[in-house]
Amino acid sequence: MIAFGAAITQPEVYRSCAEVGIRLAAEPDSVVYDLPSVGSIFESYNAVLDEAAEREDLEALVLVHQDAQIVDEDFCLTVRQALSDPHVGIVGCVGAIGVRTIAWWEGSVSLASFIHRYDEHGGGDLPAFSWAWEEAPPYARTGEVDTLDGFLLVLSPWAVRNLRFDEWLGALHGYDFDFCLQVRAAGRKVMTADFRAIHSHSLQPFRDPEPWIVAHMKVAEKWDGRIPGVGWNAGSWQDRALRAASERDAARVMSYSDELELESRVRELEGILAETTESISWRITAPLRWLSRMLPSVAERTRMHPRARLLSAGPRTDRG
Amino acid sequence: MIAFGCSVSESEPYFRYAEPGIRMAAEPDSAIFSYAAVGTIGRTYNLLLDAAARHEDLEALVIVHPHTEIADPELCAKVRTALADPDIAVIGCAGASDVRTIAWWEGSVSCGAVTHRYVEHGGGELPAFSWTARRPAPAEVDTLDGFMLVLSPWAVRTVRFDEGLMLGHGFDLDYCLQVRGAGRKVVTADLCVIQHRSLKVIGDLELWAEAHVEVARKWEGRMPGLETSTIDWRQRARRAEAEREAARALAYSKRLAADARLQELERSLQQATETMSWRITTPLRRINKWRRTSSAGPRGQ
Repeated sequence: MIAFGAAITQPEVYRSCAEVGIRLAAEPDSVVYDLPSVGSIFESYNAVLDEAAEREDLEALVLVHQDAQIVDEDFCLTVRQALSDPHVGIVGCVGAIGVRTIAWWEGSVSLASFIHRYDEHGGGDLPAFSWAWEEAPPYARTGEVDTLDGFLLVLSPWAVRNLRFDEWLGALHGYDFDFCLQVRAAGRKVMTADFRAIHSHSLQPFRDPEPWIVAHMKVAEKWDGRIPGVGWNAGSWQDRALRAASERDAARVMSYSDELELESRVRELEGILAETTESISWRITAPLRWLSRMLPSVAERTRMHPRARLLSAGPRTDRG
Repeated sequence: MIAFGCSVSESEPYFRYAEPGIRMAAEPDSAIFSYAAVGTIGRTYNLLLDAAARHEDLEALVIVHPHTEIADPELCAKVRTALADPDIAVIGCAGASDVRTIAWWEGSVSCGAVTHRYVEHGGGELPAFSWTARRPAPAEVDTLDGFMLVLSPWAVRTVRFDEGLMLGHGFDLDYCLQVRGAGRKVVTADLCVIQHRSLKVIGDLELWAEAHVEVARKWEGRMPGLETSTIDWRQRARRAEAEREAARALAYSKRLAADARLQELERSLQQATETMSWRITTPLRRINKWRRTSSAGPRGQ
C-alpha cells in the first residue's frame, strides 16, 4: 500500500493543491494521512511517519507539501519501480549532487521536474528545466543524488521505520537535506525518479531569512566531517569567513542593481502605457473598445440561442 | 582657497559631468587639479593631495569622480560651514554608520540631495541609493562614498590614500578609517550632486569581492569603534556562508519577481496596442507626431 501524508496549516490550500494531486495519484487502498500541523514541519512529518510505520503492508510513504500537486496518473507505478531497489531510502522529483548545505540549489541540480506557480503580478508558471524532457538540458537525468527538494518526498518503508526528521534543527528549513543525509549515512540511496508536480508558492523564498540562516549553520555543524563535502569549503576558517562575507555582499549588490534595473524599466513601460492611454486617439476610440468588449457576450448569447439553449436546459441522460 | 581635484580615468565623462560641476561650484581663486589617472586610485589621489597641500591658503580639497556632477552653487559655503568644526576632516554627500566592510551601504546610510542619473531604458533619474533606507544629511558617519570627498587641510596634509589597495574599491572606506583612527570626524553634508552612472551598482562584481576581502584583511580587528574581542573564525565563517546563500536565494527570487512584474506591464501594453481602435488610429498618431516634429523644427533652429 502506498500511503500519502501532508502537514496542513491552510486547509483551503491543501484542498486546491495537494488533495487534487493525491486523488489523481492514489490507489483504491491508499491511506491518506492529511493531518493538521502539530508544530514544526519536523514534528508534523514525524507524526505522519509514526502512523505510517504501523502499517505492515506499507510500500511507500509520500510526503507532500500542502501547496504541491502531483500531476502524474502513473505516479504509484513510478514509485514502485524506483523503490524496487531495496537500497533506495528516499525518492523525489527534484534533486542535486555536490550539495554542501541546505541551499541544495547551489549544488549541481540534476533533475527539476516541477512547475513553480506563483500568484504575484497577475500570476504565472515557471517550469523548471526538466518539466518537459524534450526541452531538458544535457545534465538532466534521474538517478542517485545527494539530496532532494522536500516539497515532494517518497520514503521507503525502511526509512519510515528507521529514521526521523531532526526536530532540533528548527521549525521549517533544512529538514529535507538533513533527512537525505541520514539516509546516506545509513548506507541507503537518495534517488530522483521521473514524476512531476506543481508547487504553488510565493516568489519569495522566505519572509525572514534568519531562521533559514540558523538552520543552515546547524545542519553544517551537525554533519561536518560525517559526510564528505557537507559543511566544507576551501581555505582556513578565516579565509572562508572573509570570502563568504564578500560574496554575501556581492549577492546583495546584484540584487540592488536588479532593483534599479526593474525600477527604470517599469518607469519606461509605465511612461509608454500612459502615453498610449492618454492620447487623443485612445480617448476618442473608447466607445469602440467598449463595444468590442460587449460583442463577445452578444455573440455568446447568439450561439446559445435557440438550439444550444434548449440542449443545455433539457434533461440530462447518461447518453448525453 | 577651496581646491577641486579629479583623477581623470576617462576624458569624456570628465568634460561632460565633472568639469561643468566644478566650474559651477568653484570660486574665482579656486585651484583645479585634473590629473590623468596613474596606477591605483590611491596613487592619483595622493598626487591631488600633494598638489593641494602646496597651497598655504588651502581651506578644503573637493575630489570628484569623473562621473560626478556638482549641482550645488552653494557648495563652497556649505563646505566652509561644515569645516568650521576643526574635528571634522572629511565631508561627503553620502555615507553610512555601522559600517563593517566596503559594502558601506549595508550600514545606516545618510545622504544629501544626490541624484542617480542613468541612460539605460530611455534614460531617467532616481534618488541615489534608492534601494536602501536613507536618513538625511548632515550626520556623523563611519565612511563616505568615494564619488565625492571633501578633505580638510589637516586631512590633505596628514592622511594618505593607501596605494597598496590594488583593486580600486574600498579606498574611500580605508581613508575614512584612517581619519577616524586619528581621532577626527567624517560627516555627510547636504550637498546637491548628480551621479551619472549605470544602473549596475558595481560593474565588476568579482573584482569588487576581491577588494572586499583585501580591505577586510587590512582592517581586521583594528576598525575604530569596533570591539576587538576574540574572534571565533569558525562561527563567523558558518554565519557568513549561510548569509551568503540566503542573499543569493533572495537575489534570485527578486529577479523572478521583477520579471513577473515586467511581464504584467508588457501584457497591459500589448493589450492596449493590439486593439482594433489603436490600430485604426495609427494614421492619426502619425499625423500628430509629424505636426509636433515640424512645429518644433524652426524653434530648434
